[in-house]
Amino acid sequence: MKRDRRNSRTFPWGRPAAAFVCLLIGASLLAAVLCGPAWAQQHGVSLFEQIGTQGSLIPAEDWIDQAIDWIALTFADFFDVVRSVINNINRGLLAALMRLPVWGISIGGKAVAIPILGLLMVPYLWWASTKWTGIYGFVSLWLIANLGLWEATMETLSLTLTAALIALAIGIPTGILSGKSDIVEAVVRPILDFMQTLPVFVYLIPAVILFGLGAAPGVVATVIFAIPPAVRLTSLGIRGVPKELVEAGEAFGCNYWQLLFKVQLPMARPSIMAGVNQTIMLSLSMVVIAALIGSGGLGGEVVRSIQRMLVGKGFVAGLAVVFIAIILDRATRSVGEKKM
Amino acid sequence: MATIGVEHVYKVFGEDPEQAFPLMEQGKGKAEIQEETGLVVGVQDVSFRMESGALFVIMGLSGSGKSTLLRCINRLIDPTRGRVYLEFDGERIDVTSLNKSELREVREQKISMIFQHFALFPYRTVVDNVAFPLEIQGVDKATRREKGMEILKLVGLDAWAESYPPKLSGGMQQRVGLARALASEAELLLMDEPFSALDPLIRMHMQAELLNLRDRVRRTILFISHDLDEALKLGDRIAIMEAGRIVQLGTPEEIIVNPKTEYVANFVEHADATGVLTVTAVAKQVEVTKEPPKGLGISRMDPQPAAFAEGDGLVICLDADGKPIAAYQDEVAMDFKYVTDDLTTVGDETVLLAEHDTTLKELMRARLATSKNPVIALKEDGGLDGIITGQEILLGVLEKGRKEEAE
Ligand SMILES: Nc1ncnc2c1ncn2[C@@H]1O[C@H](COP(=O)(O)OP(=O)(O)OP(=O)(O)O)[C@@H](O)[C@H]1O
Ligand SMILES: [Mg+2]
Repeated sequence: MKRDRRNSRTFPWGRPAAAFVCLLIGASLLAAVLCGPAWAQQHGVSLFEQIGTQGSLIPAEDWIDQAIDWIALTFADFFDVVRSVINNINRGLLAALMRLPVWGISIGGKAVAIPILGLLMVPYLWWASTKWTGIYGFVSLWLIANLGLWEATMETLSLTLTAALIALAIGIPTGILSGKSDIVEAVVRPILDFMQTLPVFVYLIPAVILFGLGAAPGVVATVIFAIPPAVRLTSLGIRGVPKELVEAGEAFGCNYWQLLFKVQLPMARPSIMAGVNQTIMLSLSMVVIAALIGSGGLGGEVVRSIQRMLVGKGFVAGLAVVFIAIILDRATRSVGEKKM
Repeated sequence: MATIGVEHVYKVFGEDPEQAFPLMEQGKGKAEIQEETGLVVGVQDVSFRMESGALFVIMGLSGSGKSTLLRCINRLIDPTRGRVYLEFDGERIDVTSLNKSELREVREQKISMIFQHFALFPYRTVVDNVAFPLEIQGVDKATRREKGMEILKLVGLDAWAESYPPKLSGGMQQRVGLARALASEAELLLMDEPFSALDPLIRMHMQAELLNLRDRVRRTILFISHDLDEALKLGDRIAIMEAGRIVQLGTPEEIIVNPKTEYVANFVEHADATGVLTVTAVAKQVEVTKEPPKGLGISRMDPQPAAFAEGDGLVICLDADGKPIAAYQDEVAMDFKYVTDDLTTVGDETVLLAEHDTTLKELMRARLATSKNPVIALKEDGGLDGIITGQEILLGVLEKGRKEEAE
């Protein structure tokens, strides 16, 4: 690389030649723009917009509409099952979170909320991160409770965890397969690229058509959005296991599963945990957006505030999202490097 | 005990390995074949059979195919052609024809392996690393631990049982690797340059430890090295590989004394031969006569000598079997001492006797401690072989025992 650059410097005519070519291309473009319309009129070629718009040549929109309708009808039973599974997981998680009481004490006639979840969080965050993170976790949950956003926050949390759980349950095994096999990797990689670059709002709409209103479409859209890092980082972790260690496992007689569970997964754990962390963070950000199709929670508060121009309310709900995001991040960030 | 045998093993890397065989038959070399077809010949037509209980060393430069050959034996790499078999007290296992689960069983029970970069599992404690083969064998946890500790004691690392491998020095890590390989109780040990990643001093220490350990736990060991000194020190027999083929196979002394190709000679040139060459290789033959030399009063001798030999001012009297019974220098009778005797209180009037398997190194050390008198070299049956003076030792060191060339 270095040598290449030096070579181009030693050719004294390299740069002037490039400049000349650029100039030539620039001049021809200019000529085409200036003289093009006149030339086109003379030769009977019209500009594209002069033909009029009776639909485009390739009506892909219609095809996709029809395809979605067909899928929704044909696999209605399947989507019903998926919806009820998602709803049940979400409801279960929410119920569990809401069962942890928020104590209230009265100080000077004012009710002060003390969330038990915040207290339970301290030792875990302390272990997973630092003492200060533990304290931070309690303070931020205390703030959320006393800002009157407890219920919305728990809804967001349970939606996030539901989506993250499903994304990981699909993503990690897929990542393992794609880490072990080049064929799977070759198939999965473009799908992941597609999922990651498609604008999220695009699949919010079909999700509603397929899964109806409520939590399910939001969770499904979130799962799609959050799966890629779980797959990619698991695959990366498995592929990154030193060859000699895999050979050691095989040389002592490991079978497929022993090699996976005793050598590859433990070695890939830091990478997989980084994937878990990213999946959870992406889930949270997407769950907030999914409020646009009615999945509620803090995102719902934000959407309602936008609709009614309630600046303060929207801002406070947004702040609660940030609090939760930091807690979730710290809770899962460095767990992968810890000895268990 | 167990042995390994390899018959006409080939390994060709690449898309269509069969393409390389006609070219090999035409006598084309590894580089030519790679240029023509893009295929890499890793191992070409290798055959050998180990002695049971032996330490067999495969030696060669980087890229000569040592690791590939080793991995063909437990089939971490499948050979393209050829046979690999193992023998255990008469039972013969054809490794190349095993199916997946049979192969797994052989790896679990019969062969274990030690790696150049140790290949320890960083997330397991030292004792759990050592017990890994037992875990795969399905041994229960308590037994596993007990056995692991026992073997750690053998390599002197029991105090480190609960540490994690990255905390240990290189030498210690490789001792854990050794312990792990011993834990499986497999009689065959494959070692792929186990000491190459270690500092020279620790390496010497580990070599000594391996020899020491080998006396205590009988194993058949296939050892890979790129260092001839290491090979000479450890090996009962050595195979030298060049570009995928074995170019010479023999005992350390055979290789030192008689390198078959220039490639081997190049290695030997830089090797330390004194620990390998024996007195047999350097002893100077002397003429044996029935006539007593002049001036030697043999009438007083008891028993009567049957023959005499003379060289470098030393007269040696032999009995009927050709064994030395006395020696005279300037008509003064000399004491006999063996090189292996205690030589701390030896005077000038001593002649050293060297048994046939005494190495030059031992001989030089003994001469340093005693006199500069010529040494009497003995044959395996105790008979006179020849005489060794400082000159023979020097020639041995410089010319690696190639006496004919030296004269
Ligand atoms: N997986 C592979 N694919 C293609 N070629 C390979 C592969 N493994 C080894 N080779 C080639 O086979 C030849 C022998 O390699 P091998 O690793 O056995 O050498 P080695 O003697 O062990 O060398 P070193 O001392 O460097 O370990 C080399 O030319 C190498 O490039
Ligand atoms: Mg190698």
